[in-house]
Amino acid sequence: MEEQTPIENTPEASKPPEGSPPENRAAAKFKVLVGALLAIILVVGLYYVNRYWIAPAVKAQPKGDENHPPAPAFSLTDITGQPLKLSDYQGKVVALDFWATWCGPCRIEIPGFIELQKRYGAQGFTMIGISMDDSPEPVVDFYKELQMNYPVAVGNDRLGELYGGIPGLPTTFLIGRDGRIYAKHVGATDPTIFETEIKELLAIAPGTEAKSFQQAGHIFDDDKVALGDPAVIDSEVPGIDLSKLTAGQKEGFKKQLEGQQCTCGCKRNLLNCRQKDRGCSFSRKLAQDQMDAFLKEKSSGSATKQ
Amino acid sequence: MRMFIWTCVLALMATSLVWGQNINSVVEARAVMATDAGHANSAVKLAVLAQVAAGYHINDHKPSLDYLIPTDLKVDPSDQFAVKTVVYPKGTPVRFAFSDVPLSVYEGSVVVGALLQTGKAVPAGTYTLKAKFAYQACNDHACLPPANVPLTVTIKVVPRNVPLKPVEPDVFQRIKFE
Repeated sequence: MEEQTPIENTPEASKPPEGSPPENRAAAKFKVLVGALLAIILVVGLYYVNRYWIAPAVKAQPKGDENHPPAPAFSLTDITGQPLKLSDYQGKVVALDFWATWCGPCRIEIPGFIELQKRYGAQGFTMIGISMDDSPEPVVDFYKELQMNYPVAVGNDRLGELYGGIPGLPTTFLIGRDGRIYAKHVGATDPTIFETEIKELLAIAPGTEAKSFQQAGHIFDDDKVALGDPAVIDSEVPGIDLSKLTAGQKEGFKKQLEGQQCTCGCKRNLLNCRQKDRGCSFSRKLAQDQMDAFLKEKSSGSATKQ
Repeated sequence: MRMFIWTCVLALMATSLVWGQNINSVVEARAVMATDAGHANSAVKLAVLAQVAAGYHINDHKPSLDYLIPTDLKVDPSDQFAVKTVVYPKGTPVRFAFSDVPLSVYEGSVVVGALLQTGKAVPAGTYTLKAKFAYQACNDHACLPPANVPLTVTIKVVPRNVPLKPVEPDVFQRIKFE
């Protein structure tokens, strides 16, 4: 009986020895084919795992200082008539909840927030509710009905824009003792996720950045913290960046907007609609399109001059 | 077991896709007339076809709970046309994670009808009407702010001896004008 050559884990090992029978060669070729097929399946599988799970999570994960931006300051009057300033909660862990009474997923979160306030209020935590309702009346009724135990104020579009825009409610920001935003949850979220994060942030000394903080739960693309630029938010055409225009061009651009009607049905011109109703998505898009065209024309004009 | 894992993977992918939907296009709407024109002193049927993006719903015109914002079609009357009635479809009861009771909502394709009355002495010509389809959309986890789709309806009025041709009759079969 012939002694078999031991199989080694090298490319050469897959080759049949010289003079081996044809069936052995066919078997070896088959193994190579299966191996190649498995490798292709693995690569494709890894690509999809990365695309749908790893990449979105890494993208949304806070990586350090720049991803824990300072929470934009605000000053409102709460529904009991008391001033509500974020700066009054310096050194505390704050959960800032943007919600509305007409939003079912927002309402279901509130009892959990009341419980968190009860449990961690004495340890340096506070909930703050910012209602995006149009008027305070339904908010006051709901506040009384649920016996809410934390400050609630009616917010506005500008505040939402400062926090990067709040397209979906509820949206809750977790602010650390150093005043930085550490987490953002869009949509109704399990209260245990908030509790995990609150406990972690409460353990950090006031004024210290929680560099190793990781947002709990599944992280969606919408959870990425991207704050609004106050210069753009408060520009003469709210929400439109005018910084690339000279004073004369700004006036020209505003005139151009004044000459056009907004298509949202408000019966105002574009500039007026932007200034009076900054939440209007129609005027925002139209004004931005105008700005893009204006800048394009400007750059092509300057290129022609050169 | 393998089947279970794949089901989980597909469910997760579907969730991400629904979540990642462009919020500006959650509801699209267009208006269509039942006939290519209308006659003076007669009824004219109008339909608004709204398409609600997959994974989202909008509230019934008569919502199940008093805090929900109803879907509403407002047609501005004009000198030539009066709005007689607006007919809404019956919502579908759906159970959501955020509600103990099923909520009556509209999902997918929604058709709202409006019955207009042309004035007695409206001369032949082309007229426009303004309308607004107002809604407030949510998915199972989050809600979007109340929004509306502005609509412009063009109506041609022709002499009584000119026959009218039906337009998109399948749409109007879905509306129960009484």
